[in-house]
This record gives sequence, structure tokens and C-alpha cells, in this order.
Amino acid sequence: MTEEIQSRKSIGYVVGGGLKENLSVRLDVPAEDVQEGAFVVIGSPRDEWLFHGLITDIRLNASDPRFAGDKSDLRLPAHLAGLFYGRTLFTDLEVLPTLMTEQGPPPESPDYKAWQAAIDAGLRDQPRPLPIKTIPAHHSPVSLAGEQDIALIFGKPDAPNHFVIGTTREQGHPVAIDLRKFVQRSSGVFGATGTGKSFLTRLLLAGLIHHDVASILVLDMHNEYGFDDTASDTGEQVTGLKTKFSAKVRVVGLGAGATIRGRTPDFNLEIAMRDIQPEDIELLTRELNLKETTPTTLEALAATFGRQNWFQEFKSMKSGGVIEGEDGKKVPAPDSVAAWANAHGVNVMAAEGLHSKLRRVFSKDYIVAEPASDAVAEIIKALEAGQNVVLSFGKHEADLDYLLVSNLLTRRIRSAWEARTNAYRSSGKDEPRPLVIAVEEAHKLLNRENAAQTTFSTIARELRKYYVTLLIIDQRPSQIYDEVMSQLGTRISGWLGDDDDLRAVLSGLAGRDALRGMLARLQPKEEVLLLGWGVPMPLPVRSRRYDENFWKELAGGTVKGKRSEKEIKEDLGLV
Amino acid sequence: MSEKAYEIGRLLRAGISGFVAGTRVLVQDAPRFGALVRAPLGEADSIYGIIHEINIDDDGLVRQLVTTEGVDASVIADQRVNRNVPMEMSVLAVGYRRADQPPRHLLPPRAPLSLDLIYQCDDEEIVTFTNVGRFGYLRHLLHNPDLPVSELIAAHIQQADAAHRAAGDPTWARRAAEELILLLRDDYPVLMQVLGALSDAIPEFEVAP
Repeated sequence: MTEEIQSRKSIGYVVGGGLKENLSVRLDVPAEDVQEGAFVVIGSPRDEWLFHGLITDIRLNASDPRFAGDKSDLRLPAHLAGLFYGRTLFTDLEVLPTLMTEQGPPPESPDYKAWQAAIDAGLRDQPRPLPIKTIPAHHSPVSLAGEQDIALIFGKPDAPNHFVIGTTREQGHPVAIDLRKFVQRSSGVFGATGTGKSFLTRLLLAGLIHHDVASILVLDMHNEYGFDDTASDTGEQVTGLKTKFSAKVRVVGLGAGATIRGRTPDFNLEIAMRDIQPEDIELLTRELNLKETTPTTLEALAATFGRQNWFQEFKSMKSGGVIEGEDGKKVPAPDSVAAWANAHGVNVMAAEGLHSKLRRVFSKDYIVAEPASDAVAEIIKALEAGQNVVLSFGKHEADLDYLLVSNLLTRRIRSAWEARTNAYRSSGKDEPRPLVIAVEEAHKLLNRENAAQTTFSTIARELRKYYVTLLIIDQRPSQIYDEVMSQLGTRISGWLGDDDDLRAVLSGLAGRDALRGMLARLQPKEEVLLLGWGVPMPLPVRSRRYDENFWKELAGGTVKGKRSEKEIKEDLGLV
Repeated sequence: MSEKAYEIGRLLRAGISGFVAGTRVLVQDAPRFGALVRAPLGEADSIYGIIHEINIDDDGLVRQLVTTEGVDASVIADQRVNRNVPMEMSVLAVGYRRADQPPRHLLPPRAPLSLDLIYQCDDEEIVTFTNVGRFGYLRHLLHNPDLPVSELIAAHIQQADAAHRAAGDPTWARRAAEELILLLRDDYPVLMQVLGALSDAIPEFEVAP
């Protein structure tokens, strides 16, 4: 332990602060040696507790403002003026304390053996990081966290079910997340456009598939995840999940005969008309510009034809057809919308208006009366069997397709998982396999307006009750319903510029004011902030690159952080 | 240039915080402003001090001579060498030393006695005295409002630096300046005066290899 502590890079000492206003640390190395967001360790080997925290601010201070205000090198020679730095002019850090770990009495003290013996005998808990409850003493040494500190808090990279998401920014130590914990609650990947959300999601999905901790359904609106793709910014080839996990991933194309980037999917998904429920249409209110009368009309349709047949029957009606009645007057044709409306006391204009607006849905070629196969059942079967499914929307990339199909499919899948969960709990059958549904453009499904109507918000609220969680991917987290955001366990966010988005990502988290600036100042690419219940403490990391090295490391099970000078010299034969 | 300890006068009057010595010596190596000197404290102990003032008082004959034209050189030399009124050196006590113990940067337990011989310290003594602790003796200089602090410190550091360099340590002056900055960082005007004087006394620092 002592050797480990000595390997840390000391950067300063505590000069003040508290739990509420954070800790003040006087820096005794150049300011450029540290960065906002760096993970620091406070305490020495002799201290009973070791504290862990995050640099949230860096300030220039002076013992007297005149030292800062006067340019001393104009009044004094350089050899004297230079001595002011660190003595009258100094840099202070603000550190957000997050966790503390008991170290016990100093190893050489007589109490240490008794303390260790109590742990070995199970009379005391094994020391582990705890939420911060107190603060370190004045002048406690502060160091940049070493690799062993990262491993203590986040878990060792090679520990079971741990997946390295990136490395610390300053020293390149690998940072792992516990995938089992990750899938226990819904999670989110956020970032403005172009910040690498898709790459990060690919990393996470690859990690989840590799470690086999859950089945995954990817609602791949833009056909990015299944087959190989070309990066929009660099033009480089991006490996698809199907390419690397051929036996574990099944790609499903939407619509009969659909191809994805010229490749044939494993099977195709067609939606049976009987599967479309009135709620699926209500979800499209904004997209189809439906009127307030729509729910009433839909209710009447369902009451007339049944929940399984209403769509097909409504589609077959004619809009505007008239015939001449017995009295010579023109009346709606028997197979018209107006005739049905009149017969069932529904406002004719409202019914005709709805019929007209639903033409966009009626015309979808993937909605058929009798699908060639029950692809939804096949998807569920694959997921239950431990496979992973990427539903590529192919040419159907409109919001309408995404909203309708995603919600409908998810509803059936959740029902299946709910049934399995109930069977497991009531009769002790096999425990359901955890399922993660990855949802791109999540705000379209989980916005304030739609959230209450979609299966997704139900899943987000239920947490792991039915073994189904969401991985939502979005660039506008502020558009996602607060109640859903507040339920997210792990949040991984790239750079965000909008104040509302920043606020949304940090909602419900301790120290959000301090984290806000950190989030706003992330590098636009390859830097993300790990947050929330699923990670022991917030930490900005340089995310892994989704490239061939990643796949090699994943196959080999090892991940290297930044290589040390010694390692480089060894490679070059210099030592 | 390595300096050796030598007598520079005898004690005229003394107190715990300092003393005044008189001399008739008028040579090139005359006591210098800022020099570290030593006075006996009993048989084996010593008091250390820094010269902060050198006075030459007049007498009736000098008053007459300064208004006389064509004073002969022999008269001037006679007046200087054989004069009745001595040259006075005011010394600020900055520490003491018990026999066989390292120096301490504290005021002495008692004052030296009249007519005790006063010595200017040699390089070895300077290095020994100024290397003890962390420049504690500087507080005696800094906290005396009657002293020309900046000039005195600059003169002392210049002389002590020469002794340290002669002993092979070129970094002492830099460490002394660092300590001064720490001691005076809450007193901007005084610190800037001290560093201004120091910049004239020490043109450049050397850093440890």
C-alpha cells in the first residue's frame, strides 16, 4: 500500500474548505500539470482515512492583490521575480470530495495488527470506498490518483464483467465500469452532435455483448450498428457488431425484402395490422398533426371492430364516398368513413380527418394483414436465447416509422419479459435474462408529450423489475421527460453546449453545480463524463477509440492505459 | 575570497538586543555594514550580531580642521589614527552559541561586557551560523522598525553569499531570498524594497545542480 501511495504524483495540500463548499487545495506544481476533472487522492499512508475527489475548479490567487496586479518582472530581475510563484502567487484547486476509504492505523503502529486481524476474522467490514462523510485535515497531502486508486474505486479492468470505457485524462489510467450494475437500471449516452455518441454506444454494446451480461435490442434508426459503416466525419470504415459477433448478433430489416447497406439481414420484420393499437396512433399525434378528437375516434373504432381489427377495417374504409339514398338524397357510401361515423355517433369530420392523416401509416409497406412470419416472436426468441438483435430501419428512416415500430415492438417484448418474470416469481421457472433496449434519438419517444404513452417510459420507471432496461442515446437530453431522466442509473455524457441539456444530464446528482462546468468544457470529441448511480463517482475520461486495437484488446481481455516511459524504452531496447 | 576572523574593536555598551563597539581601526578591511560579528559571552560562549550602523562622531579639533584651508596630510592622518573619539559600530544581536553546540537564532541570555573584544566572523563561522535552521535570524532584522531593513539585508546576504560560494554552495542566496519572500509576503511594500535592494546586491542566482 505504501509503495502504491508513493507512486502517486503529489500536487499540493489541503488549505481549507468543507463538505458543502468543497475543499481548497494549494497547488505546489505548475497549474498546467493538473486539469479540471482530475481524480485526486487526499491523505497519506499514516492517515486513517483516504479521501477521493474530483478537481472542479482551478483558481489563481495571491497573498496580496498587488503581487498579482503588478507585473513584477518589470520591477525586478527575472531571477527574483520568478521566486514569487508558489510563495506570493499561487494556484488553488477546488476539489469535490466524493468518497473515502478506511486505511486503518499506521501499518507500523501496534493497533494496525489488531485492526487487520479484525477484518480477517470478519469482525470488521473489509475497507471499501464509502460516500464522503467527513473531510481531511489541514495540510493533508493531495496527489493525482494512481492506477491502483482508479482500480480501487472503479474496479480492476480485468475483474469479471468490468469493461474499460476509457482512460483518465492526465495519466491515462484505465477506467472500468461494472456492466452488471450498468444494466440494472436504465442508462443514457448523451452529447451534442458530432461528439462521438455512436462510437461510444458501439463500445458499450460491444462490451455488453462480449461480457454476455444481457441481451440487447438495438433500435437502429440510422442503420449504424449492425453492418459495417463509414464514419460521416473521417470517412473511415467502422466495424459493425454483426461483423465481430456474427453468431451473437442478428440483424433484422424492417419490411419484406429490406436490405441494409446492400446486405441482406438475417430476417425481416413485418408488422401485422392486428398488432397496431390505438395508443400507437396516439403516440404519433405530433408527427401526424392529429386533432384533439383523435382519442375519441380511436376509442370508437376499437369498440366497433375490436382492438385487433380496427386498423385493418379503418384502412379499408373509403373517405368521401357517397351514394344516392332512397329519398334521392346523397348519403355516405356504406363502406365509407362517414357511414361508420354516422352509425356510431362519431363526428364525421373528425373521423374523416383521422382517416386522411393515417394514410401515411396505411401506406407503409411493412404493415401487412398477414406477415410472412411472426418476426416479433422470432426477435423475442432470439433475445431470450441470449442473442442480440439490431433492428435496422433501412429505408424507413422517418420519425413516423421509428416511433411506430419502436413502441409497438418494445411493448410486445416487455409483455413477454413481464410474463416470464411473473412465471419466475410465482413458479420458480428460469430467471429471465436481462434485456437492454438501445434507443437512438430517444427524445422522440421520451419527450414530455409522449413519455406517458410509450412503453419506454414505463420501462425506465420500472427499473429492473421486469429485467428490461433502456440505453437511451440522445443529443438533446433536455427534451427527455424529467421523470425518465431522473431514473437513469448510469449517464455517460460527451460535450453539451446547451444550458438546458447540461441541467438535464446533471439532474438529481450531488455536486451538479461543480460538475456543470466540467461537462461544458469537455473536449468536443473522445472525452466523456461518467455520472450517476452506476459509477462510484463522477469522472471525466478519454473514451476508448473504436478501432482495430479495441477489438484486439477485447479479444485479448487486456487494456493498456498510457504507456510508461519505462515501457516505451523497453520496447526500444534502451533498458 | 575567503575571509578570516579578526578583531574589529572593543565593546562600548551592550544590551540583550544588541551592542555598540568602538574601534580606531581605519584600514581597508574595516568592519562593514551587514557583516556578521561575534562577541564573547563568558569564557566559552559567543553572541552573534550583524552590524547595522557605523558612526564617526566629530570632536572640537575636527570641527576646527574642516574649516581650515591647507590642512597637512600628516595632520589628517594623525587625526584619524590617534583620534580621541572612536568609530562606533552598532550591532544587532541575532543569535548566540554555547560551547560545543550549534548556534541558535535567539537573543542571547545576557549581554557581553564592556571592552570585550569584538570579532568579524570568518567564512566558516558565517556558513555555520547562516545554515542553522531555516533563516530564523532574519526575523530579528525584519521586525526592527529602526533599521534600514532592505539595505541591511541586501548587504548581509551579499557577504554571506560570498562565504557560501567560497564553501561550495552557490544556492544559499536563492534560498535566503525564497525565505524572505515567505516571511514578507503579507507586507508588499517592505518585500519589494528588500528585493529591490537584493537585486542590486546579487545580480544572478545559481540553482542547485
